[in-house]
Amino acid sequence: MSHAVNSSGLVKVYHSKEKVEALKGVDININKGELYTLLGPNGAGKTTFLRIISTQLLPTSGEAYVLGFNVVDDAEKVREHIAVVPQDVMTYGNYTPWEYCYYFSLLRGMTRAKAKEMSGKALRAVELWDLRNRTCSTLSGGEKKRAIIASVLASDADVLLLDEPTSGLDAVARRKVWAVLRELVQEGKTILLTTHIMEEAEMVSDRLAIINKGEVIAQGSPEEIKALAKERFRILVEGNTKLLPNHNNRVVSFGNKQIIYVKGENEAISLVSKALKKGLKAETAPITLEDVFIKLVGGEIE
Amino acid sequence: MKKLVRDMFIIAIMKSIPDFKRQPLMLMVLGLISAIPLFFIAIFSQGMIGQGLIGTMISMVAFIGIAAGIQDITWDRYVKIREMIVAMPVHPLSYALGIAIAPLIISLPGIVFFAIIAFLLGVLTFSSIGWLVSALTLCWASMSGLGFLISTYMRKSSPYTLSNLSTLLGIGLIFLPPVYYPEEMLGSYSWISLLFPTSNSAGLIRVYSGLSTMDWGNLALRWILLIAVTAVSIILTVAKAKWRED
Repeated sequence: MSHAVNSSGLVKVYHSKEKVEALKGVDININKGELYTLLGPNGAGKTTFLRIISTQLLPTSGEAYVLGFNVVDDAEKVREHIAVVPQDVMTYGNYTPWEYCYYFSLLRGMTRAKAKEMSGKALRAVELWDLRNRTCSTLSGGEKKRAIIASVLASDADVLLLDEPTSGLDAVARRKVWAVLRELVQEGKTILLTTHIMEEAEMVSDRLAIINKGEVIAQGSPEEIKALAKERFRILVEGNTKLLPNHNNRVVSFGNKQIIYVKGENEAISLVSKALKKGLKAETAPITLEDVFIKLVGGEIE
Repeated sequence: MKKLVRDMFIIAIMKSIPDFKRQPLMLMVLGLISAIPLFFIAIFSQGMIGQGLIGTMISMVAFIGIAAGIQDITWDRYVKIREMIVAMPVHPLSYALGIAIAPLIISLPGIVFFAIIAFLLGVLTFSSIGWLVSALTLCWASMSGLGFLISTYMRKSSPYTLSNLSTLLGIGLIFLPPVYYPEEMLGSYSWISLLFPTSNSAGLIRVYSGLSTMDWGNLALRWILLIAVTAVSIILTVAKAKWRED
């Protein structure tokens, strides 16, 4: 399968007051027509990677390509095929969602008729058609974000680069955006998304990379990433956890709550039943991407 | 080339028409601020009305020039619209020119309004219209160039700081030098007028409208200075500005 985006040995060093290695040789291959997520804590290098791919930032070394075009040498060609939602993007209060879509489409070289058609389609896709002529200053945070996303959708670009597009949105608005993203992937678009919302990464990604301190520490589908953990189940126990029988499983404590990670389902059921007999609250579920992520990036409270 | 010009106009329209449609008072504010000295001139020194009208037109193009170069660029960077445009097939020149032209579109009705009054009062004649447009254009271009220069070299400053700086510079370059009044009033310091694009342009328009006289050498020097300020600020901006960060 040909790649929509690929990077090899991508390095970015910022020379401000002190030398900061934001990317330390990142190799990522994103297939055409897939939604690929970069998941990482703040400052991991996600935005730096996306800004290099979107031709806004030059890498220090290494190579990156979008649809076969080098992001450094063929930036103009790359720009014909991408559309970007930057991190923490804000709207101009005097613009309407329609103006965002229409003007940006014109800037991509569309005719007025085509720009109108694409703007209408994009605004309907993000359910903003009825609000298309309201100024952004009168829209909610979620609606503003969707207006920006619509402007990117209207571009009809092959590769969409979205830097935390759902940050600050409530759960309902976030899910609306997810639905739109999955529809786009079904239409054949390639999406590179950055997020630190685990549920988002798990729900929308075909594949993802966990990036930490400028390095990719895991890559694969959400299921493949979850399979990296030895344990398959988690048990949430609440109450006096000292009453639990001795066990050798990995435990994460939060006050009177504990998460116990176990390998097998039978062991999980057995431990839950013992906890319940001791009068504790307990429930089990398969481990989540967040559990694996925390373990991989080393942010666990043991 | 065709796309470059097309994109320039799209950006100019995008950065002006929505504001103009939703905040038409902007035009009133811009026109009234520029016309404040004219109001006092009309009351206290009616013989200087012509000088005041020239100053008002210069003031409008100078204010919008510096504001475009500093404020619009900075706010675009702040709300990240610039990042979206960088990632589009848009040439940086289209963007810069579009940004500079946008406020000109907003202020054009005001400039035309004061120009018509100047014609009706006999301050301007049809033969001087070409000179008027040239001097106003160069004043706008040089002030935009200065604005771009400042926003490029101070790109890490907050948009609020740069907005205030833009207003201060506007006031300093418009109300202090001989823009609303003839440079002859400065006596032996009249050379100060040469230092600023605003007073330089005002001096030129005064000559072409017959309000003052100047030998051809002095006249040529003024044009050269206006062009030089514009060119130098653009060259320095281009040398430092980065469409794509490194």
